[in-house]
Amino acid sequence: MKDTHDTAPERQHDDTLSSKARRRFLKLAGLTGAAVAASRQVAFAAQGDINFFAKDLPDEKLIDMYRTILKIRWHERTQADEMLTNTEYRGYNHFYAGQEAVATGVCAALRNDGPFDQIDLVYSSHRPSGHAIAKGVDIPTMVAEMDFRATGMNGGYAAEMHISDPSVGFIGADGMIGPAPVIASGSAFAMRARGSDQVSVVFAGDGNYAAPHFHSTLNNARLLDLPFIYVCENNLYHQYAHYSYSCPHEDIATAAASYGIPTIVVDGQDVVQVYNAAREAVDRARAGGGPTFIEAKTYRYYNHWGAPGAEAGKLGAFGYDPLAITSFRPEREVRAWMQRDPVEIARNILVDWGVMERQAALDMEEEVKAEIKAAFEWGLSQPLCNPEDGLKHVFAEGTVPPRQFG
Amino acid sequence: MAQKSWMYSVLEAVQYEMREDPAMTWIFELTPPVASNPGKPVINLETEFGRKRCVNTGIDENWMASAVLGAGLSGSKAATYIPYQGACIPFEVIQNVAGKLRHMTGGKAEMPVVWVIEMTGQTPGFAGQHSCYEEDSYYMHIPGIRTVIPSTPYDAKGLMHAALRSPDPVVYLYPAGLRTLTEEVPDEPYEVPLDKAAVRTEGSDLTIVSSGAGMPDVLEAAKMLADEGAGIEVIDLRALKEMDTETLVTSVAKTKRLLTVDQSYYTLCPGAEVIARVAENVDGARYKRVAFPDAPPPASPEMFTWMRPDVANVVEAARAML
Repeated sequence: MKDTHDTAPERQHDDTLSSKARRRFLKLAGLTGAAVAASRQVAFAAQGDINFFAKDLPDEKLIDMYRTILKIRWHERTQADEMLTNTEYRGYNHFYAGQEAVATGVCAALRNDGPFDQIDLVYSSHRPSGHAIAKGVDIPTMVAEMDFRATGMNGGYAAEMHISDPSVGFIGADGMIGPAPVIASGSAFAMRARGSDQVSVVFAGDGNYAAPHFHSTLNNARLLDLPFIYVCENNLYHQYAHYSYSCPHEDIATAAASYGIPTIVVDGQDVVQVYNAAREAVDRARAGGGPTFIEAKTYRYYNHWGAPGAEAGKLGAFGYDPLAITSFRPEREVRAWMQRDPVEIARNILVDWGVMERQAALDMEEEVKAEIKAAFEWGLSQPLCNPEDGLKHVFAEGTVPPRQFG
Repeated sequence: MAQKSWMYSVLEAVQYEMREDPAMTWIFELTPPVASNPGKPVINLETEFGRKRCVNTGIDENWMASAVLGAGLSGSKAATYIPYQGACIPFEVIQNVAGKLRHMTGGKAEMPVVWVIEMTGQTPGFAGQHSCYEEDSYYMHIPGIRTVIPSTPYDAKGLMHAALRSPDPVVYLYPAGLRTLTEEVPDEPYEVPLDKAAVRTEGSDLTIVSSGAGMPDVLEAAKMLADEGAGIEVIDLRALKEMDTETLVTSVAKTKRLLTVDQSYYTLCPGAEVIARVAENVDGARYKRVAFPDAPPPASPEMFTWMRPDVANVVEAARAML
């Protein structure tokens, strides 16, 4: 991607990505003569500010993106603290901290307000809290849901792995590796069939590459030119296995390109770069130009998941994982990624672009922190579920009989 | 003989069979075939047999399930461990291919393969796509597939030996909620038959039939009922396909009362098949099913623990029949 703002670490990283992409492009072009979609980065470099949509955004929009990143970050941190310190807390989470810029940048390019048949839809396969917040769900009710409360976003039926709020276009999470992208492409299919300009987006991790669903999704999205965006969040690990165990390519986008789909490899720690990529994809989809595959290189700070009873300082950055047999990733790698923190990067961009004073940006973080704290206070004071309600919502109407009593 | 954990007992069997047969393979994702046990050497199939025979794949249960079938058809014994998040993704190849192949080929297809399939979601909070205690009903329905479900580390090891030595394809269900069980398990190999139920307690007043993850609660309930003076015969199915009809019929012919207990959904739970088989063969008996309601398991512990059959439910249902 084109280097955009004047902070040394990003520039260095961007240059690395860019030169890698260029080498790959030249090699591909030389070998096959096919100008495949991996040429995006090169095109940007050659075209200056063309496709640099973020620079045209109003200040409020940029500030809103920064605020969203802060909300996600502080939701994660506050929840982790609850796990470490509050013996009453029962929720668990597949943490999104470190990846905030991906959900934020993509969702900022989507239509999130309006009637259900006009807003864009987001499918979160896994690590859904960040996607949900970026799409605009109500955070206090999400907090309540994650602690199994009756007034939670899904009445206590879903919990973290399965949260959903269609009213903001957040179709939800299934916590699975496989099905979500295919289903999301089905929504795109319906949108195209009914002549809507809506877009359907799926967030899926690097682990999803190995599943047959990945390939079926991209093939059909391309064959039918669906208004569909596949956001591959490559955070290097599926659970505890490096993605090289499941994908032979350095860039998963290389495989996606072979389906004839435009692909963009983007620095997932930089929200404006993610936004630019998403905006290009959304514009293409709305104009009937078909699907786009975005691979965001990112990193999760915490372990695969966290649960109540966590102990600080044990095994990795968050410190607790009942399934982690050994330390699966080097501490240095975690630290290195933390040097390119999406919160810091977003803040620096706003300050560098003169959108916000540094102090105001720091004050906003305190504001958001307090807002999230209040969300947890509200969420954790909500009533627990009625046992008998487990028999509701099996069908549109009525309840099913209890069978546990014989 | 030593106190052994569930997974150690199972991997001891797998390790033995892989040492016996240098062609045998093991495919896993995410869950490394590693187990340790106090006073015993660590078992690590991946380091012992190398990554050619023991492979960590991407998250692709369809490939895992199909690959062991292909390995079997090429003449190699093969097994795979499918963790809970993909417990029914292998269904298509097992149901529509493996289950039909021997019959369809006039007996020519050989399939010495085992699918170890986790059942999980008994921990409150999992819910939705992360709960799959109903898959016993799905897999036990398939002709041509032997489906077993151990409930103790001893049976887990013995059934694994039998499954790996069987010429028939075996779905080996693993109720992950039982992973914390330990008991005395012999070091040497032994087989538990793939088609025999186990009578866990003998009695003449009431037969209670369960399997897998339902067993610990049933045994506890039976103890409470026995303390009240009731003669409870507890049967652990172990084999869902082929089901051991004889043991079931013999018991209920004596007790004339049959209570089945399942963590699976009420409709078509294993107990439904048990009751049907007994009713065809025993006159004048009374029947009752305790099962999970026909609703997906919700996340809320308050809802979930109320819906999941427990000791109190079993005791009450039994008392009403006695």
